[in-house]
Amino acid sequence: MQKHYNKSRLTKFKLTTLAAGLLLASGTLSAQEEDTRAIAERLVDEHFQNSTLSREEQIEELMWFAKAAEPFRGMDIQTVAEGLTTHVYESEVLAEAFSELTGINLTHNIIGEGDVVDTMQNQMQSGNSIYDGFVNDTDSIGTHIRYGTTINLTEAMENEWADYTLPTLDLDDFIGLQYGTGPDGSLYQLPTQQFANLYWFRHDWFQREDLQEQFREIYGYDLGVPTNWTAYQDIAEFFSEHVGEIDGTKVYGHMDYGRRDPSLGWRFHDSWLSMAGMGSPGVPSGNPVDDWGIRVNEDSQPVGASVSRGGATNSPASVFAMQKAVDWLRDFAPPEAQGMTFGEAGPVPAQGHIAQQIFWYTAFTADMTDPAVAVTDDEGNPLWRMAPSPTGPYWEEGMKVGYQDVGAWTFFDSTPEDRRTAAWLFGQFTVSKTVSLEKLMHGLTPIRESDIFSEQMTEMAPKLGGLVEFYRSPNESNWTPTGTNVPDYPRMAPLWWQNLAPVMSGEVTPQEGLDKLAADMDSTMNRLARANVFDSYAPVLNEEQDPQFWLDQEGAPKAKLDNEMPQGTTVPYDEMMEAWMAAGTRQE
Amino acid sequence: MSYQLENTQRGEKYNTIFSKVSPAKRRNRTARAHWRSRLLLGLYLALMILPIYWLINMSLQTNSEILGSMTLWPQNLTFDNYIGIFTDSSWYMGYVNSMLYVAMNMLITISVALPAAYAFSRYTFIGDKHLFFWLLTNLMAPPAVFLLPYFQLYYSVGLFDTHIAVALAHCLFNIPLAIWILEGFMSSVPKEIDETAYIDGYSFPRFFVKIFIPMIRSGIGVTLFFLFMFSWVELLLARTLTATDAQPIGMIMTRTSTASGIDWGTLAAAGVLTIIPGILVVYFVRNHIAKGFALGRT
Repeated sequence: MQKHYNKSRLTKFKLTTLAAGLLLASGTLSAQEEDTRAIAERLVDEHFQNSTLSREEQIEELMWFAKAAEPFRGMDIQTVAEGLTTHVYESEVLAEAFSELTGINLTHNIIGEGDVVDTMQNQMQSGNSIYDGFVNDTDSIGTHIRYGTTINLTEAMENEWADYTLPTLDLDDFIGLQYGTGPDGSLYQLPTQQFANLYWFRHDWFQREDLQEQFREIYGYDLGVPTNWTAYQDIAEFFSEHVGEIDGTKVYGHMDYGRRDPSLGWRFHDSWLSMAGMGSPGVPSGNPVDDWGIRVNEDSQPVGASVSRGGATNSPASVFAMQKAVDWLRDFAPPEAQGMTFGEAGPVPAQGHIAQQIFWYTAFTADMTDPAVAVTDDEGNPLWRMAPSPTGPYWEEGMKVGYQDVGAWTFFDSTPEDRRTAAWLFGQFTVSKTVSLEKLMHGLTPIRESDIFSEQMTEMAPKLGGLVEFYRSPNESNWTPTGTNVPDYPRMAPLWWQNLAPVMSGEVTPQEGLDKLAADMDSTMNRLARANVFDSYAPVLNEEQDPQFWLDQEGAPKAKLDNEMPQGTTVPYDEMMEAWMAAGTRQE
Repeated sequence: MSYQLENTQRGEKYNTIFSKVSPAKRRNRTARAHWRSRLLLGLYLALMILPIYWLINMSLQTNSEILGSMTLWPQNLTFDNYIGIFTDSSWYMGYVNSMLYVAMNMLITISVALPAAYAFSRYTFIGDKHLFFWLLTNLMAPPAVFLLPYFQLYYSVGLFDTHIAVALAHCLFNIPLAIWILEGFMSSVPKEIDETAYIDGYSFPRFFVKIFIPMIRSGIGVTLFFLFMFSWVELLLARTLTATDAQPIGMIMTRTSTASGIDWGTLAAAGVLTIIPGILVVYFVRNHIAKGFALGRT
């Protein structure tokens, strides 16, 4: 009896304890949830007031992050990105908010772009995890699909990350998703920032009637946004040689840079040659020949860069483009431009003595709209505008028009899965609808259509010189980063600036420089193929043959045109904007 | 004073005999030469100091002023660049990290190199000269070739992204250098001093610390200076062996160069702050530098 009594008492005690425990646990849980909700509410009110989501939806999204991150609470993780305003915002505001919300101690490190690439390569080659997540340009997509160490996001989202993928991620809302996608249709890199390169010009000068008249007198057509390279050259010559001075300041019709420096390569392999029309139609990658001049076969295997192997790196279109780069820099740009790098030359137009620039990065928008600079009026409105860059004589419909730089989240299989998953959560956090519009307003690097069409961006548009209009047009997708044809970006990019610097300084001719570049690219691809380092789409070079064989065929590489400088054509900016927007607007 | 006067008087006397130039003119000429040499010295100093002045000037300007027109001094004086560095932990921790691994490296190197250099200077053994020469050849290898092996090694033993990893990696170059410098100083100390100390009843450690080290303190000061200089400016190894926790200031400075231009002001401020530790070290070892460059081999 005693025993029985004891037993029942014990059971009772156990049940009571369990009940109390449950009650306590649920109390703790709800208390925890309440804490998290309080944090989420505060974050929304303090940092993320601008969003396309309602406040309640934002809080719900943040609550999802807190819940999904529970298994990783207390973990220290590190991610890395290059120094752009957007990434600095991610590092200073978003990383801190994420840590507070999820309990994951996150450091989003900011280092130089070159260092990001070096570190990434180090991790890929050694198989040792240095960072848990990288923001790496999608220019490297060709590298990622080939080495087999980059996480296939599409597959991961269906499998191991099924429970860790934000239900409201809304991939269809992204504008640069195609650039991080491999030939198999799988996503490898998730965009978190993007900017384009466009034509830039002094709208106020172009509107001046005296200058318009003078231009018409000399060239026989109207001063406006140039649509081909002849018109660009005429306008450059007009301002440098005929106008000469505006308001007592010497003015120039062109700005560029020519110093032997890695940034010199960007200009040419990013877009310069393809703007002239060197590659094949097709976006994001020209097929079979893309903007680096590398030809691929039907299986996406690179077969050569030289014309003798079917590539176009040293084709007549490329030679024409290089010749123009050399001539314009020498004849129409400020003399010091020859010795400048990208970073030094970039802010020069803001000083107020440059009339136009064929290849201008929208990443400079924020600096150019600062009321203190010479290219804004007293109210801080820009005196300049951005427009699509003119295309060269070899260009045809359906080809890329310019370059877009897309920084995207990239993960490697060498990172332990739990750390990688925690980093994936942060990656999604930086692009979630809760924060993306606020981030766009800080860094001006859009990634979501819904943000571009937001009221806030409509309000900002007049201050941004055409940036918002550009991104609202569906034509924007003709601006693309390096495509999948380039098998190893970090190894091949240096070949460009090293071979083209002597061309820019006049030591060798464009033909000589490009022949050497194409040969170097072929030998690098060949060496990489022989070393058997690629997991898939490895290069198989075509046999060399008489270049004429390839030039006689349809498409790139294209034979030399009899007239590379047809009559210049321009359009008035307003008309161009109308036509631009009439191409239809992106679906919201 | 009287001596000088006498000399001048004598000079004048001789001048009146041998020279057609009057004493007054000659005095003028001496004064002119005096001014000329002062001017040249001033010009030399100005030229030497100009880059540093320019750096400080830039660090006190806004980016728009730096990129706008050339100004000799800040028109809109701003301390924002410095405030930015001192209030952002990822910035100032770069300095702390660099100083930490430099200090560790100096400590490790000097405590290894002192006994090693003593052995080379006092004992002869088979292959001693070859070994000494071999140590020096370590300095000739470019650090770049050690990058990947070092990274793999430190990663596998769990030292990646720690201060000690960078400090140890720098030892590869610093220890041979330190031994070489110290050996020179130690060899110039007569062996008889060691022997006298033993006769006087000094134990070896006591002799080493109390008598020997003070005799070569110039050498140690200069060695520390060289160790600091190598470790402080070395970037290649330091940035490969670190990620976030121990990254050197040089690595953090790279973030000022971006696709939307270079943050010149912050870069200049960081540059100024990078020079300061070097100046401090030079200040403390300034009396030993001349002897140091002779490397004890008088």
